[in-house]
Amino acid sequence: MASIRLHNLRKTFGNVVAVHSLSLSIADGEFAALLGPSGCGKTTTMNMIAGLETPTAGDIFFGDKRVNDVPPDRRGVGFVFQNYAIFTHMTVAENIGFGLRVQRRPPDEIRREVHKVAELLDITHLLTTRAGKLSINDMQKVAIGRSMIMKPRIFLLDEPFSNLDASFRFYMRGELKRLQREIGQTMIYVTHDQVEAMSMADKIAVMDFGVLQQFGTPDEIYNTPANLFVANFIGSPSMNFVRCRYCQENGQGYLVQQEGPARLVLDARRRHLLAQRHRADDLVLGIRPEFIHASPTMSAAEPETAWPGRVVFLEPLGARTIVHVRVGADTLQVAAPADYRPALDAPQWLTLDPRFLHVFDAQSGLAIR
Amino acid sequence: MNRSRWWTALIRYVLLVVVTVVAIFPTYWMATMAFKPKTEWTGAGGVIYWYPHNPTLENFRTLLAQNQVGKFFRANTASALPSIRNSLIVATLGTLFAFGVGVLAAYGLSRHDTSAQGHFPFYLPLVRLALLVIILMPFMLLGSRLAIVDKWYGIGGLILIGIMVDDRIGRLMARVYTRGPVGNLPFSILQLRMFPPIAIMIPIMVMWAAFAMVDTLHGLVLIYGVVTFAFVVWLMKSFFDEIPRELDEAAIVDGSSYWGAFFKVVLPLSKGGLAATALFVFILNWSDFLVALLLTNEKWTTIPVFLNRLVSAETGAQYGPKAALGLIALIPVLVFGIAIQRYLVRGLTFGAIKK
Amino acid sequence: MAHLQLNHITKRFGRIEAIKHLSLDIRNGEFFCLLGPPGAGKTTLLRLIAGLERPDEGDIYIDSVRVNDVFPGDRDVAIVFQNLALYPHKTVYENIAFPLRERKIAPAEIEQRVRAAAKLLHIEQLLARKPARLSGGERQRVAIGRALVRRPRAYLMDEPLANLDARLRLEMRVELKHLQKDLGQTFLYVTNDQIEALSMADRMAVLNKGVLQQCDEPDVIYRLPANRFVATIVGSPPMNFLPCTLAVANGTLTVRHEHFVYRPADESGLRAALAGRSAADGRVWLGVRPEDIGVYEAAPTNEAMLAEVVVLEPLGQETIVDLRLGREIIKARVPPTRRLHEHQTVWITFDPAKLHLFDAVTDTRLYTSTREQPLVGGRKTL
Repeated sequence: MASIRLHNLRKTFGNVVAVHSLSLSIADGEFAALLGPSGCGKTTTMNMIAGLETPTAGDIFFGDKRVNDVPPDRRGVGFVFQNYAIFTHMTVAENIGFGLRVQRRPPDEIRREVHKVAELLDITHLLTTRAGKLSINDMQKVAIGRSMIMKPRIFLLDEPFSNLDASFRFYMRGELKRLQREIGQTMIYVTHDQVEAMSMADKIAVMDFGVLQQFGTPDEIYNTPANLFVANFIGSPSMNFVRCRYCQENGQGYLVQQEGPARLVLDARRRHLLAQRHRADDLVLGIRPEFIHASPTMSAAEPETAWPGRVVFLEPLGARTIVHVRVGADTLQVAAPADYRPALDAPQWLTLDPRFLHVFDAQSGLAIR
Repeated sequence: MNRSRWWTALIRYVLLVVVTVVAIFPTYWMATMAFKPKTEWTGAGGVIYWYPHNPTLENFRTLLAQNQVGKFFRANTASALPSIRNSLIVATLGTLFAFGVGVLAAYGLSRHDTSAQGHFPFYLPLVRLALLVIILMPFMLLGSRLAIVDKWYGIGGLILIGIMVDDRIGRLMARVYTRGPVGNLPFSILQLRMFPPIAIMIPIMVMWAAFAMVDTLHGLVLIYGVVTFAFVVWLMKSFFDEIPRELDEAAIVDGSSYWGAFFKVVLPLSKGGLAATALFVFILNWSDFLVALLLTNEKWTTIPVFLNRLVSAETGAQYGPKAALGLIALIPVLVFGIAIQRYLVRGLTFGAIKK
Repeated sequence: MAHLQLNHITKRFGRIEAIKHLSLDIRNGEFFCLLGPPGAGKTTLLRLIAGLERPDEGDIYIDSVRVNDVFPGDRDVAIVFQNLALYPHKTVYENIAFPLRERKIAPAEIEQRVRAAAKLLHIEQLLARKPARLSGGERQRVAIGRALVRRPRAYLMDEPLANLDARLRLEMRVELKHLQKDLGQTFLYVTNDQIEALSMADRMAVLNKGVLQQCDEPDVIYRLPANRFVATIVGSPPMNFLPCTLAVANGTLTVRHEHFVYRPADESGLRAALAGRSAADGRVWLGVRPEDIGVYEAAPTNEAMLAEVVVLEPLGQETIVDLRLGREIIKARVPPTRRLHEHQTVWITFDPAKLHLFDAVTDTRLYTSTREQPLVGGRKTL
């Protein structure tokens, strides 16, 4: 078990900067996710932690010890890859116990440890099965078990679920998180799927083009995104963005849609924030689909905040329906109840929940708060 | 860590240089020897000349001049020119022949499930010619007793018997080696590679003699094509296997015929493979000695055979002219290699296309 | 415009039956999704329609013409493969122009049609590039452009979004659906992602091991799954199943679980549904979707059950709660604002109007307590 600290970590391949000076600390026993689109540097970062790549600059600490020069096999990291490297000619028990057998541990100790791991993974009934006969899903469990038995200080997982069935992925997500809680293992999970990161991790590091965009709990990442990239990347369907400018009238502050009729009254705090800025004419208003309410009639209570639009598209997803509504030149996605089915082109009134508004600077992309 | 990396790099470079020098030295020696006068290449007097002290074209003159009767050449009075021409023609045509059949066969094997039983492809006899001959031998001997071996119906009948026996053996071997009812077609091509050439050459010589194909162009081209055919099939099949099947299928759904998909999509994508295979096969044919030795006499003598004749009781081995001929023999391969170099590099990085 | 019909198709590869007696009817101008796990036979079905495979039994009709013996290129359908199969040695322009060149169309018209397709897909600036220099999303568009430019009668798509990033997939989904509506053509779309199927399809079919499980509108598939397989593959997280037995207590039919007893409101409806079926020794699965489970800190009704929170999976817009109910772990969906913590004991209820019963032996759905609820704003009109 160990905490991990990355200090100004940097990696270049020729002229390409894969990771810009990256600093992170992951506490002992924490489940951290490295999240980002392909090519964002997340796998390079993981490889540096594992020792498979040498950093161009910066330091990696496990606990208090600098491990830059420690070879990968002595770092005490456990690996699970997307392609489960398991030996198909061995039984599940032999596979799981493989690492210990290499270390020449006594057979009854190996048997005991294998059993313990199998129990945690709920695969005791498969122990005598030949690994080649397992389903893809069970193979991944065996792969996890094989790393786990070595009791690594740090567990690294590189998109381990991307080859699994969708329904099994749900199950494994819960399982892995439960497992991590039970053994209290420090884990780093690399993924491009924000749902996986959100659902399992204690902390998420969102990366793009080798630059750390935000590091925080899922709650922080989701509810207070640091910039447009994070706001857009997290959440499914993604956050709606409307280009706006700020204007003041009769002591009230408004966000006015650049290409359309919508306007929104701001609360005192936001008004204050925006009034202070030099350039407040190019802003992006962000709001998540679930914080917009769509109705076929205008709500009488707050006429100022209701936006007029028309339905352009419907996505029924079973548990809910995503309604695409065009307001001026912008199209907003609204998460509506499953049985809300307005006709195409029907007029809609959108009410935005002011508590969950985000305002970004359109140029820098940074959140204004 | 940094320091250790510095001197391991040094050692690596030193080793590389040593290996390179050792590898290149024989070529250097041949090239320089071609320009040395006799006194330098014979090494008489125990002096080693590391480079030609008196460079001369004498060796080339000796080699290329016709009917030269001089102090060097009593035994061999022919010019090397015809053999150079023969080699060029035979190696090129043999390569083209192997390619014409082999590339299509490789594509077929790559794209179609040959494990299905009951197919008898038209080129099977060709594929199996070599193995066939061995199986044919006992029958040949039997046939010579019956005095039918020099009749067309005798030979034809024996070939038919051989094909049938060979087909059975092929299937049986495929079962044994792959432990399953795997199709015997790719495997029977592999069989061709399992026999040392020397084992099949003598029977082939007998057969060629019976067909009056010894020392003829078509006889040589046929045998070179058949021998290198297996290489073409195996190399090209692995290149075709790397091209996603969906590419030809996309072309077919897009309106191409099967031939159109092959020529417009698959073949342009396997340029690298074609180039590498062509070079490999050409070199095999170009430098072959055994086949040419057994199947040529005078008219179609190739470079390696001619090289072998540059020796006589009177003059001993003619190392100077030999080196000159070796240098000449190097040129076509070098030219061919440089011409297709662009594709060779692409052939090596071929896997990149897939993703 | 095409109407695709499959009549009792069977396809074998050696001894393996990839497709078993499958019949489908895909209407003209429809966005039809084929959903199934890997190895279900979806791709084989697509290849059969394209003509890249031949059925061992059964007939394929395109617009009422039997096409079993028609060459792929003459079927006038376009296919987009999972790996896209762009011609790596040709530029984007030549890739898109290829089908037209193969059909010997006049150069001027080729030029005009390629430019029009490129414009529609917003790839005009990429025409001179080779596929290797395109991003995943751009390649996607080129592959669609190559299909589009021919103006085929039907588009066959084999998981075309599977290799894209999650984010890009979301965008392409909406775009593809818009494109289909604009073209008004028949789309047959193969996927193993239930969200793609639910959100894009006008109608969809669920396939497992070469056997058609159910074919209907996405709404119906979600609310009235034909069997446990369909109930599992559609919905995220999938439906929860609890082993129960049917029992008669005091003359009323009840569904008993180790931890609760469920008394259907319309008991007669359940009896009617069960009539004529031999739910073997009364063993059934009770199916409940994650969103139909209520999670409470205090017992809301007498019927509520105690459960333990095992793991919380916050997704931002919602939180998935893994609950331990006796020996089983079930997943419930709660709003993100709910502050639960792990190892907490909570009370849970099932929405009595949305419960399903499945036969424990055959896995087919026996009964659903859904009372048809009127949809707000009328039926889907897309």
